[in-house]
Amino acid sequence: MEVIITGANAITSPYLHIWDWRVAIYLFLGGLAAGCMVMSAIANLRPGKSVAPDDPCCWRVVILSPIILNIGMFFLFLDLEAKHNMLSFYTTLQPLSPMSWGSWILLLIFPAMIAYAFSVIPAENREVLRFKGLIKFAEQMGRHLRLLAKINFAFGIILGIYTGVLLSSFAARPLWNSSILPILFLNSALSTGAATMILMAHKNEVKLFFTKVDIWLIACEIVVIGLLFYGQYTSSAAARESIMPFFTMSHEYFPYFVSIIALSVIFPLAIVLKFSEMAGEHSETLSLRQKLEMNVSAILVLLGGAIIRFALVYAGQLSKFTGLS
Amino acid sequence: MAVNRRNFLKCAAFTVGGTALAGSPFVKATSLLAGKDIQHVPSFCEICFWKCGLIARVEDGKVVKLEGNPQNPQSRGKLCARGQGGIGLLYDKDRLKTPLIRTGERGDGKYKKVSWEEAYSYIAEKMNTIKEKYGPESMALFAHGTGGGYMANFIEAYGSPNECHPSYAQCKGAREVGFSLTFGSGPASSSERADMSKSKVIALFGTHLGENMHNSHVQDFTEGLGKGAKLIVIDPRFSTAASKASMWLPIKPGTDLALILAWTNIIISENLYDKEYIEKYAQGFDELKESVKGYSAAWAAEQTDLPEADILEAARELGRYKPNVVLHPGRHVSWYGDDTQRSRGIAILNALLGSWGREGGLYLAPKVKLAKLKKAHHHPEPEEDSITRGDYPFAYGGITTEVRDVTISGDPYPVKGWILIGTNLIKTLPSVPKTIEAIKKLDLLVSIDIMPTDTVMMSDVILPAATYLERHDELMVVKQKSAGVSIRQPVVKPMYDTKPPWLIAKELCNKMGLGKYVEYNTLEEKLRKLAALWEVDYKKLSEKGYIPLANTGHPYITKDNPPVFKTDSGKIELYSLALEDEDFDPVPKFTPPVEPPEGMFRLLYGRSPVHTFARTINNPRLWELKKTNEVWLNADMARQLGVGNGEKIALINQDGVKSEAGLAKVTERIRKDCVYMIHGFGATSKRLSRAYKNGIDDQQMITKYTVDPISGTSGMRVNFVKIVKEV
Amino acid sequence: MSKYAMVIDQSRCIGCMACIVACKAENDVPPEMFRTRVMDITKGKFPKLRTEYRSELCNHCDDAQCVTACPTGASHNRDDGTVQIDRKKCVGCKACLAACPYDARYINHEHGYADKCTFCTHRVEKGLEPACVATCVGRSRIFGDLSDKNSEVSRLLAENEHRVLLKEAGTKPQVYYINRYPNHK
Repeated sequence: MEVIITGANAITSPYLHIWDWRVAIYLFLGGLAAGCMVMSAIANLRPGKSVAPDDPCCWRVVILSPIILNIGMFFLFLDLEAKHNMLSFYTTLQPLSPMSWGSWILLLIFPAMIAYAFSVIPAENREVLRFKGLIKFAEQMGRHLRLLAKINFAFGIILGIYTGVLLSSFAARPLWNSSILPILFLNSALSTGAATMILMAHKNEVKLFFTKVDIWLIACEIVVIGLLFYGQYTSSAAARESIMPFFTMSHEYFPYFVSIIALSVIFPLAIVLKFSEMAGEHSETLSLRQKLEMNVSAILVLLGGAIIRFALVYAGQLSKFTGLS
Repeated sequence: MAVNRRNFLKCAAFTVGGTALAGSPFVKATSLLAGKDIQHVPSFCEICFWKCGLIARVEDGKVVKLEGNPQNPQSRGKLCARGQGGIGLLYDKDRLKTPLIRTGERGDGKYKKVSWEEAYSYIAEKMNTIKEKYGPESMALFAHGTGGGYMANFIEAYGSPNECHPSYAQCKGAREVGFSLTFGSGPASSSERADMSKSKVIALFGTHLGENMHNSHVQDFTEGLGKGAKLIVIDPRFSTAASKASMWLPIKPGTDLALILAWTNIIISENLYDKEYIEKYAQGFDELKESVKGYSAAWAAEQTDLPEADILEAARELGRYKPNVVLHPGRHVSWYGDDTQRSRGIAILNALLGSWGREGGLYLAPKVKLAKLKKAHHHPEPEEDSITRGDYPFAYGGITTEVRDVTISGDPYPVKGWILIGTNLIKTLPSVPKTIEAIKKLDLLVSIDIMPTDTVMMSDVILPAATYLERHDELMVVKQKSAGVSIRQPVVKPMYDTKPPWLIAKELCNKMGLGKYVEYNTLEEKLRKLAALWEVDYKKLSEKGYIPLANTGHPYITKDNPPVFKTDSGKIELYSLALEDEDFDPVPKFTPPVEPPEGMFRLLYGRSPVHTFARTINNPRLWELKKTNEVWLNADMARQLGVGNGEKIALINQDGVKSEAGLAKVTERIRKDCVYMIHGFGATSKRLSRAYKNGIDDQQMITKYTVDPISGTSGMRVNFVKIVKEV
Repeated sequence: MSKYAMVIDQSRCIGCMACIVACKAENDVPPEMFRTRVMDITKGKFPKLRTEYRSELCNHCDDAQCVTACPTGASHNRDDGTVQIDRKKCVGCKACLAACPYDARYINHEHGYADKCTFCTHRVEKGLEPACVATCVGRSRIFGDLSDKNSEVSRLLAENEHRVLLKEAGTKPQVYYINRYPNHK
């Protein structure tokens, strides 16, 4: 078949390239923030824990999550072509547009995140807030820590799913148009959240707790990635075509091939490292090797999460119905 | 509101009527919308020679859109991509903006800006010297387009008989000669008179309508196809037209005449011709019959590399649907040097099928007799004979290559000065080295043009012309099935320091003391007089852009409208006595073409629907649709050569000339023995920011050409190239 | 109420590109951006070939994915059956570009809004045909009102086997294609 197209737009031809690293970073950081919300909630709600945050991760990660989300949002903002019309997001609610309800949800999530962040500031550290009003607010919120953690847990799940729904709602892009995608993004969000907890935690007990959590999450993630590809492969021709970049060892698809190879090394390696951390006796203090293993595996998980977002954002834009049959 | 097509047409007609009222040039009609000053000015196009009627929408002094004038039959309310792209020419930042005089060597691009007065003085001085030293015949004019006439007047007043037009020898000359020898006149008026909208069978020899985007012609073509006309396309390449064909005959290049002669034989021997018509209007039938009887379908199949069954079927289809069939005369026919005879062959087939003067065939030219303005001063009689006809007895137009050859040889007399208007000879004439050699011999080369083309940038003096959207020009008598008058008038005022060609010619005449030969102060003054003489209301003409002339249309042969054949015999000459007198074959004979050597391909070239030769490549509105050309290469051959689609290649021709690197289009759409590319790309002028070094220049590869012994026209499809991979 | 639609007779498209240039001038489309395109698709092996000429544009879908995806309501279905963009509401998020299976949209980089074919609604309101239709040299593009049973588009759809592009995308497009290949009666 020979095709000549006259009058094609560079932004859609030969492939869509509307979204670049900015959106990939947004989706990654959005997911990371969601994971942090959920995991920090778990840290604060886990049985046997005192009411006050007992490990730095229980409050540092909570404070970190709105900052991460904000950085992500900044990258999304960079991607908007008509920034001067930003307000249009909030003059309407488009019930079928994920981006519309996403922008409203963000409006709800932010206060919850902020309130949660204030609530977890340890009493001895509240001085840093300086202003009386803020200190008082932190005191008040501190009383509702568990409730706020529960709310943030729920919002974290919603945010994690949302980052996937954003892409999966486009029937025109077969790779994205899979209901597995939000699950994968949520799963990845949770596992990167757990990795952040591991990195930030001081106590062995907490580190080991999230290592166990992350093993399950990574195992799930591998299954979900497999399901995504399997689902695409057994679906329509366009869907099957959409995963080909990952399995074609050609010059033009090289980055996608590399990303699959990377993921298939990173995740198993992370799991192996985690099992190695958990093996043997744990004394009160962790050995340097154990710490190193923990941190390396956590960074691998974060890297894997970023690769998933980048690979899917770019590869999804290669996928389409060709209409050339 | 219910909108159907009929309503649309009504509304459209109303709108056109409405605009016409306010449409007079520079009459302001303020729109209610956005407080913009919107005018609609009718004129006619010059992006190609079709010269469609246009209506320009001008908003606040800027041309924003060009639309087809519904009343002008060349356009019928539509404009092609190129015509609409005219705005891109008008506002092209690369335009020539002031007169320039060369300060460096020819071709090195060094010029100084000068005033018009300085430029005229320079030209006048040089031309006077040439006249004194060699005589006025040593100046020659190369012209194309509407501006050519004014310069012809100038050069004739100066005393030179040497005007030539690439549109003759490098385009349609052989066709005109071939048809005139047969029917006594050519097959075209404003357009080829192929009545395709009513044809039952249309046959195209290499004519790639659709890619060859002549507005009303293509409208007729698609209308005919829409009504279910059968289409036979004879072309080595699967062109757009071929893709619409009921029968595509991928002929071996150069063997068309074999097919034509076989068809002639089949149509005669199977009694498929129009007996009554031939008896009544033609002479030489028996000689023709005798002459072609050896050309069987089997023989033609061998010569042309086409299936015998297809050759027979096509001939029978033509015979079955006669006389409502047309074998299209083509336009650019300067292919192999036997082009007059091939055109004769096509003319003879049309005659046998009775298509001349018949519905769906070749309709008759409208009958228009328009008076000329009386001249007070006649040009001086040239002292020397023109060199433009060479030794070609049937040449009726100025042969560019002859003028070039005489410039090089100096025989019979030296040619020392060229004036070019609208002609880019380096991209037009075969053998670029010869063109350059001739230019080197010149004492004066003047170019009048809009863009800094390759040839313009070789000139000593460059005079920047206003575009067709900025000027008046001679009235155009449109001749389709009936006739009418079309006007060109400024849509906007000339930009930069440019002038309309009529004014340039007039001022040059004044400068050289020849002012009396331009008998008007402004061209519009002449147009008004002419309109009055023709009894056309000038005001109405300038408002509507087109006025039909009543009772001019008699397209078909009827009892009251017998055909007139201006041949010696007064009949269709199937057997040409005129050719016999000059020792040419009175009935065409076939000579097999020289075949490309092993490993080489015949170089074929053609058109893009969005470009007019090299002229529009730099036009931003058209460039963006077709930025570069590709070399079409048969997929099997590409595999053998290891060339992939879109890969970089270059061509080397039989004379060792290597092209710039370009792209390969690997395709099933072409035969194995030839390659094809769109003509006009690969500009060498650095001042053409978009066209410079863009694509492969076919003209550069056409170093070899054959000359048609009857018409003197060039055969340019005789070059062979090999393909080399580039990095 | 009107229900505008376009019928494209592919057998009459000669690939001249007049539609593209007309559209761009009429709608002031920026350089190197397009609201309509022409596809030339050839299949087969020499010498048995066939070519489909297909001009493509916004399909003004009844179930327009771009409208669904739009977070601000800038993209909307109008009562006359067309899909339009309110430039003042567009944030340039490009969700509509991702959502359109026909790749009919682009971003106007000068102003940042998403843009596409409007069916020349400003001309249609004045009783004119869309610019591409008015200049279509082959009369391949026909525009009209499907709610009028006597309109040419209604007649053509009633009389001809017709199809839409990417039916499987499920968007109910309102640009219909007839006579995919040449039509020799």
